[in-house]
Amino acid sequence: MTTSPIKTTENYNIKMTKVIELKEISKKYQFLKTGVRNIKGNVEDFWALKDISLDVYGGEILGIIGRNGAGKTSLLNIIAGVLSATQGKANINGKVLGLFNLGVGFQDELTGRENIFLNGAIMGATRKELEEKLDSIIEFSELGNFLNMPLGTYSQGMRLRLGFSIIINLDFDILAIDEVLAVGDALFQNKCFQRLMDFKREGKTLVITNQSMDLIERLCDRVILLDHGRLLFQGSTSEGISRYRTLLNTEKFFVGPAQKHRKLVENTKKWADAQSNWGKKLGTKEIIIDKVELRNKFGWKCSKINSWQQLEIKVYFTIRNTAKEPHFGIAIFRNDGVYCYGPNTAFDGYSITELSPGKGYFILKYHKLFLAPGGYKLSIAIWDKFETLAFDYHEGYYNLTIKGKNDVGQLLNMPFKAYPRGHPKNLFTLNLGILKDKWEEKLEAEGVQLGEVKLLNQLNEEKDIFITNEPVKLIINFNKLNSDKDCYLWIGIYREDGIYCQGITQKLNKRVIFKIFFPKLPLLPGGYRISLGVWDSKVKKFKMYHHGLYPFGMVFEQEDHGTVYLEHSWFWRWK
Amino acid sequence: MYIIKEIFLKSNLIRELVIKDLKMRYSRPTLGILWAFLSPLFVVTIFYVVFSIILQVKTKEAPFFLYLMSAVFSWRFFQDSLVSSATSLIDNKNLIRESSFPHYLIPLAIVVANAINFLPSLSILIVASLISLKGLPIFILFLPVVLFIHFIIITGLSLMLSIFYVKWRDTRYILEAALTILFYLTPAFYSIYLVKGSFSKVLFNIYISNPLVGILNLYRLSTLRGFYQAIKEDIGLLNLVIIPVVFSFIIFWLGFYLYKKNKNSINDHISY
Repeated sequence: MTTSPIKTTENYNIKMTKVIELKEISKKYQFLKTGVRNIKGNVEDFWALKDISLDVYGGEILGIIGRNGAGKTSLLNIIAGVLSATQGKANINGKVLGLFNLGVGFQDELTGRENIFLNGAIMGATRKELEEKLDSIIEFSELGNFLNMPLGTYSQGMRLRLGFSIIINLDFDILAIDEVLAVGDALFQNKCFQRLMDFKREGKTLVITNQSMDLIERLCDRVILLDHGRLLFQGSTSEGISRYRTLLNTEKFFVGPAQKHRKLVENTKKWADAQSNWGKKLGTKEIIIDKVELRNKFGWKCSKINSWQQLEIKVYFTIRNTAKEPHFGIAIFRNDGVYCYGPNTAFDGYSITELSPGKGYFILKYHKLFLAPGGYKLSIAIWDKFETLAFDYHEGYYNLTIKGKNDVGQLLNMPFKAYPRGHPKNLFTLNLGILKDKWEEKLEAEGVQLGEVKLLNQLNEEKDIFITNEPVKLIINFNKLNSDKDCYLWIGIYREDGIYCQGITQKLNKRVIFKIFFPKLPLLPGGYRISLGVWDSKVKKFKMYHHGLYPFGMVFEQEDHGTVYLEHSWFWRWK
Repeated sequence: MYIIKEIFLKSNLIRELVIKDLKMRYSRPTLGILWAFLSPLFVVTIFYVVFSIILQVKTKEAPFFLYLMSAVFSWRFFQDSLVSSATSLIDNKNLIRESSFPHYLIPLAIVVANAINFLPSLSILIVASLISLKGLPIFILFLPVVLFIHFIIITGLSLMLSIFYVKWRDTRYILEAALTILFYLTPAFYSIYLVKGSFSKVLFNIYISNPLVGILNLYRLSTLRGFYQAIKEDIGLLNLVIIPVVFSFIIFWLGFYLYKKNKNSINDHISY
């Protein structure tokens, strides 16, 4: 990958001299296989970094982003000279300071002042230099009289401040900081940022890793994105962050956390740059998604569909290089990013041995879309064997609209039967905005007294955990109910994180028992809450509510991600 | 040569590490630095009670308590340095993982700290010898050289052990066993004549060629008056001086050779 040119007009302090030059750096770790004790060892190889080439110019602030275990720290270690690369060459021009932990070698028994000299010496400063800088270190740390007390008496925050003050006052050309930025209170943090910006102005080079994208965005001129030891992207900060977020979504929604494997991306050739305008497309491009078609139950192409209808998604792809054991995956998100469902062929137990170069397509057919009206986005992915890296992944690329009106913002449209019958499906005067900040709160009203609220399984046993697609009965009892005829019972099903899944309204006709029956409750694993309320449609207010007070959980025997299970089937063909 | 240059360049770090080590030993106890004198004296007293009063051991070369002191003090320097520096790279893994100074400075600093800690013991020995034998041998002038050779041996061994320990955690237990054997193989509380009497000539020569025996003899030679007269017929110049000196430099070179070969992989092995 070539280095993107630096715009000298914007960053006039950036010298066009390379201070860090990495050439195809690879780092291999060897792990003893657990349980095996051998002198020679039964070792397993793990490549923490693979073929990283990178140039960093003087006066630049470079951010390294990526998930945990992506190789950020290893790369930083190599830049700082703490680790040596297994393959490749690292040329570092200038004095490097690696900051992997604040207060390296701090000793509780020694005083703060003594620790300054110890830590400073470990970081490579001379006694003379430290004596010169002592005053500014003490001043920066704002620790004053504490300096003469043993470090053991310091709070964690004070330790970090001291550690940071030492580092920041030392002399260096390149500073590599690993996730330890921003310590102390807001004021001190601000001071740290100021100091880092000063360094930049002085023409010093900083290499930073951090999980706070906010911080990366504020500080960095340029970022590189690492994943599984590979350099996925280098370039502008905003684009890098956006790609990282996309990657995070990928991982979160398509990959179970247990699905890790040692050989990860060995021999994966990257064609990351082959498509110049990939936008929100990620992947190694061994397989390319060419075209995606949505079809309704008549087989017509469409982008709008009714709730409870059949939807067919047909994806055409080109195989550019033999791909072993690929998986297909399609995820549906609501326009605001709420994850609805993301089945893939691996979860469903299919295995495809190999795709040889050529063309093909796959189809995912949803038999019934239990989604509420609104706008949705589809993500389409073709994954490698271990679902760690996508061959091609189009995130939120395709639009789908479910026709209808949905004023209350519910996510799902699950089938249910209610007793007594004759309920209005949607009550449009219902204003859930009232409940916005009332999570886990109660409002009681005179004349309305809620009794038992029970969830029953098929055998009429009361439960609080159900299996996805199990028949579930919700029974609500009122001990006392004096209501007008304009009052409605509202039942809201929420996700644990407050996402409104579905609402059911029932006219209150002085009845005291309400039963809602879900023949197949399709909610996917996770925590859910039920909210209850009595809505007075005349004054447009809740007479009473219990918001998010009835929790229940869902489990599923197969792995699946999202909120709602949608019955589906797969079909694929290629040549 | 570059190592000597590097040690000189990093002398500040070594000093800070040594100061840290000593401060942590003596800054908190109420008696403070006094323990540097008291602790060796306690050990010697125990040995004295056991061997001289109970077992009635006598030595021909020098008064028994001086004979014992010279051995126990120098042995403690040897043993303490090796035991604590063998595990030092692992004990200080955060230093190694988080900063980029050469790793050998850690065991080196431990040996230096132990050497400094050895000086009070050595002064006790000299004072005791001066009073009890009414004078010091001329060889006392060579004591710094003896100390230096001892230091070089210990540094080399410490470095080797610390690197072995990173790769094979069995090192520590082997070291413990080896130290016990080596202690009984040096004439700490028995007379060399006793060995000569019970061993054959060849076996005695092998015994006497042990560099640690040589070092101990050098210490005794330079602190105990009359020791040279007592042993000069049995132990030649070769065994007395050349073997320890040559051995020390070989061990030192080997230690750094091993370090150079392994320095890049230490950090990889250290985390687990």
